[in-house]
Amino acid sequence: MGFNENQTATIQGSEPVVSVAKPELINGSHAVIQSLIAEGVKTIFGYPGGAIMPVYDAIYDYQDQINHILVRHEQGAAHAAEGFARITGEVGVCLVTSGPGATNLVTGIADAIIDSTPMVCIIGQVASHLLGTDAFQETDVMGITIPITKWNYQVTNADEIPEIIAKAFYIAKSGRPGPVLIDITKDAQQKLMTKPFVHKKTETLLSYHPRLAPKEDQLAAAAKLINQAKRPFLFVGHGVQIAGAEQELIRFIEKTDIPAASTLLGLSSMSVDHPNYMGWLGMHGNYGTNVLTNQCDLIIAVGMRFDDRVTGDLSRYAKQAKVVHIEIDPAEIDKIVKADAPVVGDAKIALEQLLPLVNANNHAAWIAEFKKYDAIEDEKITQPELAPTTEKIKMAEVIRTLSDKTKGEAVIVADVGQHQMMAARYYQFKKPSSYITSGGLGTMGYALPASFGAKVGAPDREVVAIIGDGCFQMTIQELGTIAQSGLPVKIIILNNNFLGMVRQWQQLFHQKRYSFVELQNPDFITIAKGFGIDGHTCAKREDLHASLDTMLASDKPYLLEVLVEKEENVFPMVPTGACVADIRLE
Amino acid sequence: MTSYTICVFTENSIGILNKITTIFTRRRINIESLTVSETERKGISRFTIVIRSESRDAVEKLVRQIRKIIEVLAVFGYLNEDIAYNEIALFKVSTPIGAKPLDIETINKTYKAWVVYWHLTYVIIQKTGTEEEIFEFFDYIKPHEILEFVRSGRVAVSKSPQTLVDYLPEAEWEYYQ
Repeated sequence: MGFNENQTATIQGSEPVVSVAKPELINGSHAVIQSLIAEGVKTIFGYPGGAIMPVYDAIYDYQDQINHILVRHEQGAAHAAEGFARITGEVGVCLVTSGPGATNLVTGIADAIIDSTPMVCIIGQVASHLLGTDAFQETDVMGITIPITKWNYQVTNADEIPEIIAKAFYIAKSGRPGPVLIDITKDAQQKLMTKPFVHKKTETLLSYHPRLAPKEDQLAAAAKLINQAKRPFLFVGHGVQIAGAEQELIRFIEKTDIPAASTLLGLSSMSVDHPNYMGWLGMHGNYGTNVLTNQCDLIIAVGMRFDDRVTGDLSRYAKQAKVVHIEIDPAEIDKIVKADAPVVGDAKIALEQLLPLVNANNHAAWIAEFKKYDAIEDEKITQPELAPTTEKIKMAEVIRTLSDKTKGEAVIVADVGQHQMMAARYYQFKKPSSYITSGGLGTMGYALPASFGAKVGAPDREVVAIIGDGCFQMTIQELGTIAQSGLPVKIIILNNNFLGMVRQWQQLFHQKRYSFVELQNPDFITIAKGFGIDGHTCAKREDLHASLDTMLASDKPYLLEVLVEKEENVFPMVPTGACVADIRLE
Repeated sequence: MTSYTICVFTENSIGILNKITTIFTRRRINIESLTVSETERKGISRFTIVIRSESRDAVEKLVRQIRKIIEVLAVFGYLNEDIAYNEIALFKVSTPIGAKPLDIETINKTYKAWVVYWHLTYVIIQKTGTEEEIFEFFDYIKPHEILEFVRSGRVAVSKSPQTLVDYLPEAEWEYYQ
């Protein structure tokens, strides 16, 4: 936040100012940066302000080792760190100031905890003698973030910094990943450590022991159910990507010939081309995967948490099926769906250790049942959407054309709403770690900063953000961050001048009473140009191929606005409160 | 509604109570009583939390979510029959001059309660026992006019032969001598 130091700065005036010249005793701020370097951090997303200024002063000396990216709003820093973490599997790091700097991070932290994203947020705090006095830019960040962090800690002593940062990285990354927040008072940043700086990575903690290798009896019980099942169905969750278990998953599926479907965050962990890949689960998932959830005799859930958007009405969800639940977080076992065979552990290790225990099998007849539903969905929904006869461009054709042009190998970062569901439905993912979106929290405005973070994490991959006109205006300021970095993030706005998903619900469930969903939008291309980003508006189907080609050929950031049909709906759909088997095709 | 006693062992640091109670708040579970103190080992706190619930399942989910707090070393949920438990209550009872005197023998022998402070016009009586025993005594002493009444949270120890050492790494923690 803005620099305004009228109350806090003078109080610390008598503290010693430390230069880097004496490395044996450094101050808290240098300890922060040196600890980050010791943890392997190369990129920080941040925004300076009063209470974090000592750390910013220190970063100035380490610019050759740490790339600090100046965002335009702290929420952008959080989502960029998430995008970075989601694609690299490494911890995303944010650095912001106290008060509003910290509260602006809150949405991103809440997003990261629900989507199990490793993140370390380092936050400045007023000097320790001012804590609790309503000092300038003081907020009880610890209190605010307890429910949305995996761990938070307030540092008031410079000597604690290396140990706490090491602990923060260990906690954020291990087990079920999540965000960790460290609140550092300004005096702790300024004061000299009383002992030489030593950073030792945390390898174990007394009170926190994530179980990685499952218990043998749990594996045996799971294998027994898998071997007995006639109609087993495997669900691929986000845990597969987090654990890096894609190969193990394929080996398991190929040996057992079990059909598999993915949750929203599990997408791209299996190639859509795999013969055992049946599609996507849940509210806007595929027809067969939802209907047959209620006809399988065994669910093997790998690294997923049975979100209500997956299960629909729980009282009518897969009651006929036994459940094997492979999950690293013991609190997820039996939370929503009772597990007949829980397997607590890391998905990669669990699948690896299950492999020798399960029998080779052939489920061709069972898989053929999915294909019957696929044919119906294809005829009723997919083909009409991909080859429309209406005048306006449909979202589906934009996504599929993009998919074809990028050979299914781009990283798709989708925002929240109809375009998110369309991207999930129509992009044909061929490579792992290719779909990044805000799944659990459904944070509009996620995609623009997250796509930037993803591009920073994977500069060699084509990163395309798919954003709605509503979402885009929630974090539009991050165009500035993208422009300043020059990184070639490709941005597609699917513009229907509506908050489309809310409009769809109002149409279907509120008698078409369109309550505050129509948007009068600015000229997005002019805005992009103002930021120094090239753009183009595609209004006609004939122009779609050329527009996408131009966008993809650009070696700079590029904004493509596509004017799409105004009142398009996403189907199939399991309406809230309905049973997965009652999925609607229209 | 069944009464459950949840024992939480944590590192003794600032803010842990807040981290624990936020889980109850999210699940809309009311805390009936709460007691916190350091255990026989330095640096380890013990929270004894009493709740009422109609669903054992809900309590089990709560226990697992409390376990997720990084500073939490162990969590146990108990039914009343699994534990030895007690509470302490203090009664400030009016004894004006000329009023019917207190029957100290009954208070001591029948109710196992003790006068811990005498004043000219009132006494303070201490009663240790279960919630039921304390309220039995409450009813007995009520005619004398209760000026103040305070009841502590429950303290409880499991009847299981296992001790904390069975759950926590022994060497790391220093015992009080």
